[in-house]
Amino acid sequence: MLTCKQASQLASKALDAKLTFRERMALGSHLLMCKLCRDYRQDLRLLRQGFKRIDTQDRLLSDSARLSEQSKQRIAEKLHQQTQDTETK
Amino acid sequence: MVHQLSAPEVWLERYGNVLYRFALARVRDGYVAEDLVQETLLAALKAKDNYAGKAAEQTWLVGILRHKIVDHYRKQASDKTQAFDETMLPNLDNGLFDSDGAWEASAVSSWSKPEQLLEQTQFVAAMQTCLDRLPERMAQLFVLREVEGLDSEDICQMLNISTLNNFWVIMSRTRALLRQCLHQQGFTRD
Repeated sequence: MLTCKQASQLASKALDAKLTFRERMALGSHLLMCKLCRDYRQDLRLLRQGFKRIDTQDRLLSDSARLSEQSKQRIAEKLHQQTQDTETK
Repeated sequence: MVHQLSAPEVWLERYGNVLYRFALARVRDGYVAEDLVQETLLAALKAKDNYAGKAAEQTWLVGILRHKIVDHYRKQASDKTQAFDETMLPNLDNGLFDSDGAWEASAVSSWSKPEQLLEQTQFVAAMQTCLDRLPERMAQLFVLREVEGLDSEDICQMLNISTLNNFWVIMSRTRALLRQCLHQQGFTRD
């Protein structure tokens, strides 16, 4: 019989790899009896969905962070430099 | 539809902040993020004649940035002499499981109405906060796997993780930590 700790590890591993038959059986029978671990598995799926969605909507760190004017200036100079380099070649 | 590139001079103005945010969310350090934006735009400038017009301009630039970020992770991992494995993690089971391997009472609440939860901007902000609280390499690992969707084997190589088994153990702890952090941010089953 798995402990919750072991079951939680298998529930996570299932998101990254195919569980062996033995692992699937062990996890399945633990989940049948353990609501906390069923909740945990559901939350892991939700975490996955949440972070997938962040990427598609590009909302990670939305709005707040911006390049400072000095940074923009520095980058603009570099870009300008490289444009000139390629033109003179 | 074939997309056209605008003049390189306007890239910085138009996409600079988008690229910067994208980078900052993945590397945490403002200077590094700025460098990555610069490298991306320089690389784009070099590659602009090869732009096939298949992706929109911003998507194309973000694609270049993704590669730069992965290169950065890889370089960081190779600078570290010690492999990234379980022994480097803080003892994270404290507060999650008791000595018998059962859930601690404080760790067990779950989220209600998941679909609605994902629509909330506060939830997205909380995910970011929780990601930032993770040890840096854990956060990189998580982002590569869950946000970038890379294969476990590739990530192990990139981040110098010696075995897949280590990868699974670290991932498991990372997920448990994120969930716990989100609970602490107030996203709990009511």
